[in-house]
Amino acid sequence: MDVILTSEDKVIIEKLGSRLTQCEKVKTNLIPILQMIQEELKYLPPEVIKMVAKYLEIPGSEVYGVATFYNQFKFNPPGKNPIKVCLGTACHVRAGDIILENFERKLGISEGQTTEDREFSIERVACVGCCALAPVAIMGDTVHGHMAPSKVEGLILRVQVEHEKAERERQKIESDRQ
Amino acid sequence: MKKQKEKGKKLNPIDNKIIDEKFGAIFAEAQRRKKERQNNSIPKIHIGLSTCGIAAGAMETKTAFEETLSQRGIEAQIHCVGCIGHCYAEPWVIIENSESGFPPIFYPQVTAGKAKMLTKLYLEEGDPRLEHILGAMEENEMIPSVWEFSRFSKEKRIVMDLCGKIDPDDINEYIAEDGYSSWAKALKSPPDEVLKQVLGSGLRGRGGAGFLTGKKWELALKQTHLEKIVICNADEGDPGAYMDRTILESNPHQVLEGLALCAYAIGAHKALFYVRAEYPLAVKTIQNAISQAMESGIIGKDILGSGFDLEMDVFQGSGAFVCGEETALILSMEGSRGMPYHRPPYPAERGFQGLSTVINNVKTLAAVPPILKNGASWYRQTGTPESPGTAIFSVVGNVTHPGLVEIPMGVTLRTLIFDICGGIPDKKKFKAAQIGGPSGGCLPEEFLDTPIDFDSLIEAGAMMGSGGMVVLDEDTCMVDVAKYFLDFTQKESCGKCTFCRIGTWHLLSILQRLTIGEGQEGDIEKLEQLSHDIKNGSLCGLGKTAPNPVLTSLKYFREEYEAHIKEGCCPAASCRALSAYYIDLDKCARGCDACVGCCPVDAVFTTSNRKKGIDQQLCVKCGECKVHCPPDYNAIFRISPAHLAPIIERPKEENQ
Amino acid sequence: MVQILVDNNIIEAENGANLLQTCLENGIYIPNLCYLNDSQEPFAACRLCFVEIDGHPVAACTQKVSEGLQVQTDTSAVRSLQKTAFRLLLSVHEIKCKECSANKRCDLQRIAKFLKVGLKPKGLEIRLKDPGLDSGHPYLIVDQNRCVLCGKCVQVCLQKHGHSYLTFAKRGFDTVISGYIEPDDIPLTFSGCTLCIDICPVMAISLKEGIKS
Repeated sequence: MDVILTSEDKVIIEKLGSRLTQCEKVKTNLIPILQMIQEELKYLPPEVIKMVAKYLEIPGSEVYGVATFYNQFKFNPPGKNPIKVCLGTACHVRAGDIILENFERKLGISEGQTTEDREFSIERVACVGCCALAPVAIMGDTVHGHMAPSKVEGLILRVQVEHEKAERERQKIESDRQ
Repeated sequence: MKKQKEKGKKLNPIDNKIIDEKFGAIFAEAQRRKKERQNNSIPKIHIGLSTCGIAAGAMETKTAFEETLSQRGIEAQIHCVGCIGHCYAEPWVIIENSESGFPPIFYPQVTAGKAKMLTKLYLEEGDPRLEHILGAMEENEMIPSVWEFSRFSKEKRIVMDLCGKIDPDDINEYIAEDGYSSWAKALKSPPDEVLKQVLGSGLRGRGGAGFLTGKKWELALKQTHLEKIVICNADEGDPGAYMDRTILESNPHQVLEGLALCAYAIGAHKALFYVRAEYPLAVKTIQNAISQAMESGIIGKDILGSGFDLEMDVFQGSGAFVCGEETALILSMEGSRGMPYHRPPYPAERGFQGLSTVINNVKTLAAVPPILKNGASWYRQTGTPESPGTAIFSVVGNVTHPGLVEIPMGVTLRTLIFDICGGIPDKKKFKAAQIGGPSGGCLPEEFLDTPIDFDSLIEAGAMMGSGGMVVLDEDTCMVDVAKYFLDFTQKESCGKCTFCRIGTWHLLSILQRLTIGEGQEGDIEKLEQLSHDIKNGSLCGLGKTAPNPVLTSLKYFREEYEAHIKEGCCPAASCRALSAYYIDLDKCARGCDACVGCCPVDAVFTTSNRKKGIDQQLCVKCGECKVHCPPDYNAIFRISPAHLAPIIERPKEENQ
Repeated sequence: MVQILVDNNIIEAENGANLLQTCLENGIYIPNLCYLNDSQEPFAACRLCFVEIDGHPVAACTQKVSEGLQVQTDTSAVRSLQKTAFRLLLSVHEIKCKECSANKRCDLQRIAKFLKVGLKPKGLEIRLKDPGLDSGHPYLIVDQNRCVLCGKCVQVCLQKHGHSYLTFAKRGFDTVISGYIEPDDIPLTFSGCTLCIDICPVMAISLKEGIKS
């Protein structure tokens, strides 16, 4: 999938470019730099890989090789509501895979993908360390423990309802203005 | 005589006096603050706020306390502490309300609502609501104490002693509990003294392999021509172990002190914490701990006037399980792909950027300050002769009281699982304990009396590993568990060496076949041969131990593998492709709709006589219907092989 | 100089010399794919060069020669590991020898002959990568289904240029040799260096059409 940069992405990349200059140009800084970008932009498009390579004066291939090695770095933009389903041992034993499947079915995407409207993305993670609450799913920053397949729909619905509500309010404000 | 004794010392007695003075002042201030807290008679509410507590809703609990206190105008102090290890009780609080006459009380599962209730009824009206307590934190004559409960009394806390008792963000609370006293003491004596104690204690590395920590340090000390660096390995990646994170989040200074002692012992002036970036709270806590220690002059330049310098920093690991391997960890810090390389040279001989490098696990380092404080022989009083000290396990899975448990080495699995952690819930039978995560193995019932120590576990076919323990009940399929771990190691293999890169993929693909009923005659032998070769042929520890889950489950549960292959049957009725849910029409109640609403795929239909049936074509076998079926009816069953499920026809008209 | 015993041959070599290289230089063939002569830190990834020392199979490339070292190259443990490693490599290798430019010059063919095994991954499922060709590099094409991931191309490029323009990318079973695009404003021009192509034991790397060496 070819990623098209949004205008917001471009603004962030530009800012990141100037933040880069504060980092010392040494190879040991490669991962901290990539982490900083991942944190801000939430993914690493090719433009960024090139930017880092150029700054550190190393081939783009090297940056790409390192970035693709680590789980932390993503190459596709995540959804506004990233869903992480824990598949650590405790969650697996308590059927975390069924929770994952339910999210996939409800959203019509597979793990690692983002919905077309960029609202949701699903990711499996290898243990968030809340084993006593298994099975666990994380939506945004909120951890949901003791998940059940029947709770999945509710979680998604809640986000959609809130989204619609915000949308209506936005429209209302706009029409009030006019 | 006295002079001779001091000859070996690097420092003269005047320096020691300076250290005593400087540290004495720091200690006195910490003590003063502690006394002030203690003497203040307002109620204290201790809340566990580490990652697991927050996940369980501890932040909401804290807010509820704060709001209710201010609404009702009650004066109380909220004390944020780390994790106490009792995950089943999250979010928990301990309330000290001395004016009420009650001892400090431990409350489990304190939701926001309960917090409001306790504020009103206990803090305002003096009724501790005994039906909500777990126990008192000290022996008393009024209410039962938690120490009558073996989950508390059978633990022996050396490393986690202060976890859940002190505020991890306040260095003074650690110092007031004698923290950094080992550090100040060490700085007054020559570095070999530290090494001598650690060697004498017999401390073995808690990261997995159990190598003698003192020996590792000694090897680095011998590299006199090299500059040195010490690293705390907190790249915990085992999917089911989280004690390193908990310790860093709950008592970072004890680990920091251990790391400083290690640096001093080998003569390093640089120290690093390698922490997973997925552990943001741990990263923040340790960063804060470092800057507080810097400000106090406990680390930095000319520490406490001793002339010893030590710089500390944090490196965030980017999430690759293989980076727990020393050589891969070093490469990742250098900005490369974490693909392990052959040892020797050991990191102590040539490590990070050519420096002599010592890498120790969080738990190992956290054991060092108590050893130095109380002496090597004190440490040896706990545990077994070959494995002194304590073991920390994260016990999870099908167990009543999951969480972190610190026990003396040598305690049996039975004691740990049944006495301390309360056994298996729902009257199910124990099947196996998976110990040591992806590198470990599954031990069946026969091994329940095996003592937990490095060597006994290896003998039994498992390993201490990182200390993850998953308790499995009779509903768990061992082939599926082996598949789960292989799936993990296969995904986390660095891809460098042939055996691990391709071999684990084939192991996984065979296991996947078995769990969907496509096993073939000869698959078991293939699994054994491949596992054996991967174990002997791989480059690093990850590959060498990756087949362990397969090998142990084959050894102890071979008949389950055979059933999958020969009969297409999963004896635990857990493999989804090999099992089916069905509704027993004799038990199903007319008109009850409990199973209909919860089915995520609308596979439940109503039969002609208003009972329910499951459309096997649509069913995804999530088991929600079984959970929701009222206990009075208990009409839903799971069976393997799938074709044994009675066929219930969907009424024609519903189909249209 | 020290003396070592390899099978029944006494060999003289420099103390501390690499064992694999010593054997190869003395006409004793041990299957290998990833070893580069005189490398300080052997890559030790292909896991083919097993020999037995003190009853344990070890990779010869990771061992140093010392006085009185006794080495066996042909024990059942050694052969079992070598054959498994070789079968594993074949299970991800596109076997089309007749159409392959490496035919008769291929290290895999040599190893098969030496181990007296066929070029089929007996008993293992074959899994090829799709797409098999990586043309991300400005002038190189890497055939991922031929590549054995020995990493020699990355090593020689690094040695020659100080940086490698080919790299390992991704991880685990998905690991590939990749030549990811270079920064737009500093195009990589072909200098005539074909070290990576020449060193590849299975000829998995070739020049793109229109680029002349």
